Amino acid sequence: MERMEMKGFLERVVVIKRLWLAMAVAFFVVLPFLIGKGWLSLVNEMLIMALAASGLNLMLGYTGMVSFGPAGLYAVGAYTTALFLTKTGIPFVIAIVAGPIVAGAVGAIVGWFCVRRTHVYFALLTLAFAQIIWTIIFEWYGFTGGDNGIVGMPVPDLLMSISHYYYFSLVVVVICLILLWMIGNSPFGKILQAIRENPGRTEFIGINVKRYQLIAFVLSSAFLGAAGSLFCGFSDSVFPDYAHWAKSTDMIVICLLGGMYNFAGPIIGSIVYILLSKLISSYTMYWMLFLGIIVVLLVLFMRGGIMGFISEKLSSKIQEIRLRGQYDTGS
Amino acid sequence: MRIEVIAAQALSGLSVGMVLFLIAAGLSIIFGTLKVLNLAHGSIYMVGAFICYTFTSTFAHVIGVFWWTLILAPIATALVGGLIEIFLLRRIYAEEMLYQYILTFGLILVLGEMCKLIWGVGYHTVSVPWPVNGSVPILGISFPVYNLFLIGCGIAVFVGLLFFMHYTGLGSTIRAVTYNREMANALGINVPMVYTGVFMLGCWLAGLAGTLMPPMSVVALGADMEVIIGCFIIVVIGGLGSLPGAFIGAIILGLLTSFGIFIVPRLAVAFGFILMIIILVIRPWGLMGKPE
Repeated sequence: MERMEMKGFLERVVVIKRLWLAMAVAFFVVLPFLIGKGWLSLVNEMLIMALAASGLNLMLGYTGMVSFGPAGLYAVGAYTTALFLTKTGIPFVIAIVAGPIVAGAVGAIVGWFCVRRTHVYFALLTLAFAQIIWTIIFEWYGFTGGDNGIVGMPVPDLLMSISHYYYFSLVVVVICLILLWMIGNSPFGKILQAIRENPGRTEFIGINVKRYQLIAFVLSSAFLGAAGSLFCGFSDSVFPDYAHWAKSTDMIVICLLGGMYNFAGPIIGSIVYILLSKLISSYTMYWMLFLGIIVVLLVLFMRGGIMGFISEKLSSKIQEIRLRGQYDTGS
Repeated sequence: MRIEVIAAQALSGLSVGMVLFLIAAGLSIIFGTLKVLNLAHGSIYMVGAFICYTFTSTFAHVIGVFWWTLILAPIATALVGGLIEIFLLRRIYAEEMLYQYILTFGLILVLGEMCKLIWGVGYHTVSVPWPVNGSVPILGISFPVYNLFLIGCGIAVFVGLLFFMHYTGLGSTIRAVTYNREMANALGINVPMVYTGVFMLGCWLAGLAGTLMPPMSVVALGADMEVIIGCFIIVVIGGLGSLPGAFIGAIILGLLTSFGIFIVPRLAVAFGFILMIIILVIRPWGLMGKPE
């Protein structure tokens, strides 16, 4: 009796989940017909940020590696695409693909240094590398344009209109998110989670923790780079600010806001975060003050983020049904 | 390069390094005892600098106003720090490191915006007080007395802190809590109070730096991130939690930056980071720290 109800409930959850997914896909496909250009470009930004934050979350939420410098690798992706597009004549798609590859390669070098240390030191190392990347971009006028950035990408005509670019980034982001989901739920992803829970014990069962952390770092960097490349094409420009620590903290806050221990967390987080930032900054110039207060309140009272909050409610619902089942069998 | 130029660069590098030492020492003491890396420590410094500006401009007619400020502004800053510890930090000691980062990061935003709200976005200046204004000739070039005064302050605070930590009762209480929190608690030491006290001491040091810096530069927004990154480098070079480490790290970074600007102006910023990476790879616990 109890088991029946439980099973029925869980099946319902799965069906609801699939329904949600189908609805979400349909919603995103018809979106350009429903909203204006301004909003569409906002949604585009959300998509790209969701990809960047999900890429970061592979490290942050899954493996438990606190990185302060994701923006550095995001910027590597963006600048790779920008430099390929403006300095060479290679096709747009190849320039976009080059972004994550170069970001992954840079991530391998940076990660090799960073995974040698843990905790505070790991975080500070990632920050240092991101700052070095920022300095290189900012100071190397001849190559990266310094603080002027690079403006005016030769984006193909097909992608010039905002709604066409929206579909392009939608496809890329969805493919990347599916990949991330597969990675997170593969045996490899489970090992990453084991490392997060207890690196010492994971080492004891014969897993090379450092190597897995490095692979997680490289994968995460590649996805961050992909997001950077997409944003480069979207905004038609790149600036040193992409590598700035403020951008890194945007991504970290998005993960926290949505919920780090949930795959959908960073996606929900980026939607809410960007909406909030537009909404609050249209009323006040002190948006950062509100952001700071939100961050402090999140840490004090809602550490699981939005998705953590929802799944807590969901699990208490399951608990409730289970308890009711016990009473039923008892009577 | 002539000898006078080298001396001038060295002295200016040292004086900036000494101010950074005060902030880094606070950061390091807090990390050593509370095991919290206070990302907002630069913001506390900036709050101190703004308080210094308010005191000196409000009571500009008082004789020796700067010296009164030097006593009062760090105390005011320490009180701000005390409030932060009691109402916010205290709630998250038991939590994962990530939440401590994010909380103190949130404080960077809140404190930065509060400063903007209260003091505006403009630049403020504080004039160099008598009798440390003017300059003295050293090796044929004139050098500001105030920079020498800063170097003296840095050394005095360093010696004072070492004495306080090793030769006073309060200092050994702090060291006991740092060494073993539970044991100290069992011995009847009021650990939460010590935590608050240490955090306030760290903030007092940041406030002191915030008061000493304005006559040499300006009071403006953005100072928070400028100094905090330098402090990270210092504590990593010297060893997190080590006071002599922070002192040596500050001297190294100060000299490295001032000569770096002289030799390769564009990459001066990166020098500190590169040194930090080298140290972290070959001697991860820092020059003066202990292996974990």
